[in-house]
Amino acid sequence: MTQFTLYDYVLSGNCYKIRLMAGLLGVAYYTVPVDFYPGHEHRSEPMLALNPSGTLPVLVADDLVLSETQSMLGWLATTFDRSGTWYPVSDANLHAQVLQWLGFSARLTASVGAARLNAMLDWPVDVRAVRAASRKDLDELELLLTDRVFSGRTWLVGEGPTIADIACFPYAALSPDAGFEHDGYPAIRNWLYAVRSLPGFVTMPGIHPLHELREDTHDG
Amino acid sequence: MQTAPLGLLRDLDPKRVMRAQVGGQDLVVWRASNGDVSAWDNRCPHRGMALSHGFVRGNDLACLYHGWHYGSTGACSYIPAHPDLDPPETIKTAVFSVAIADGVIWVSTKGVAQPAPVPMASQPLRCFHVQARSDGLAHACRTVAFEGGAPEQIEPGLYRLGARRVFVLENPLDEDRIQVTALVDADATPNDCAALSRWCDAVRRLAQTEKVAA
Ligand SMILES: N[C@H](CCC(=O)N[C@@H](CS)C(=O)NCC(=O)O)C(=O)O
Ligand code: FES
Repeated sequence: MTQFTLYDYVLSGNCYKIRLMAGLLGVAYYTVPVDFYPGHEHRSEPMLALNPSGTLPVLVADDLVLSETQSMLGWLATTFDRSGTWYPVSDANLHAQVLQWLGFSARLTASVGAARLNAMLDWPVDVRAVRAASRKDLDELELLLTDRVFSGRTWLVGEGPTIADIACFPYAALSPDAGFEHDGYPAIRNWLYAVRSLPGFVTMPGIHPLHELREDTHDG
Repeated sequence: MQTAPLGLLRDLDPKRVMRAQVGGQDLVVWRASNGDVSAWDNRCPHRGMALSHGFVRGNDLACLYHGWHYGSTGACSYIPAHPDLDPPETIKTAVFSVAIADGVIWVSTKGVAQPAPVPMASQPLRCFHVQARSDGLAHACRTVAFEGGAPEQIEPGLYRLGARRVFVLENPLDEDRIQVTALVDADATPNDCAALSRWCDAVRRLAQTEKVAA
């Protein structure tokens, strides 16, 4: 049974956050493809009536209409994660750290996300500003992930994956689309690998599956 | 080009693949399931795909494009489209000499890799890129205070920062970009490492600002 409707664009890193979280939680949903480019359908009157902010994705579940990926990830985890580990709200410190990273994920959208849209679709942005912000945000992510390495940890918060990792994953992974390679970011590279290793992981253009996890000895 | 430091073994687990550069040579650096590290020309002998996009199968590296496998000698060991074929010896990628010392991956594109001596008992700190030249980096290392005290340069690359020492290894990537591999005293705590990692960030920022100013 489908649990919600996702207004979706396949190349969008923000839409991918929701597809990925749904995949990891094993939640089925209905997709409405929106012609973001070249059609700009997300800014059409019917789409603006649904989501006045004119962005994708939009998640609809009965009366609930969400247009921010942070709220969608929170809703998905609270509603469908029986373990309670993906969104650890019962621990004030863990909860606050997750919220901290969700805020950071919005910065990544505004920096790397915008730089990528510019590089791929020639989207009009202040190129110098978004590229400088992208570099700064990736440097910050690398620093904080390196702290986690020093304390023997893999994930952004606590001991296991949370919605914080999923919120930050897409634009960190897609940064090469905007010319920001991962060569100089070993902590980011290893954390991306950990996310890609999760059971139920789904891919998108630019993020391929981990062939090495398949156990057969040879590829076809 | 002498032997270059290409990062930390800590950051490359078995079955992982990364890209690196030595003196203009693009490399795939990867670690087999048995832990061995290899550094090869980053071009698949088949159609030139970057092997750094590939993946490890046992002790082979497989190309992402058509899945050709290469063994530890760099020779093609398996072609999925012709599973019964024993691939000719001539299908082989260029293999470079690798040495692991002090937790650092060292590679030479000419002759046998000879790691530079590390003047202390060390552990890995971190590896990062900086957009600067070597003199700018060294100047920043001598300038950025740590816990309120000025750094003391003990010898080239070796800095005393409070109670700790950091050893900075450089791999020039191009005219004004350096891959830095930083080591710290073996008895530094995780908290020391986190603080010194921030010092590295401050060094990078200063080196990059001064480069822009220059
Ligand atoms: N609402 C925010 C931002 C979503 C967002 O920026 N989406 C992009 C596509 S990836 C978009 O719709 N941009 C609209 C536009 O620039 O016209 C979120 O959900 O995180
Ligand atoms: S290009 Fe590598 S297998 Fe074809």
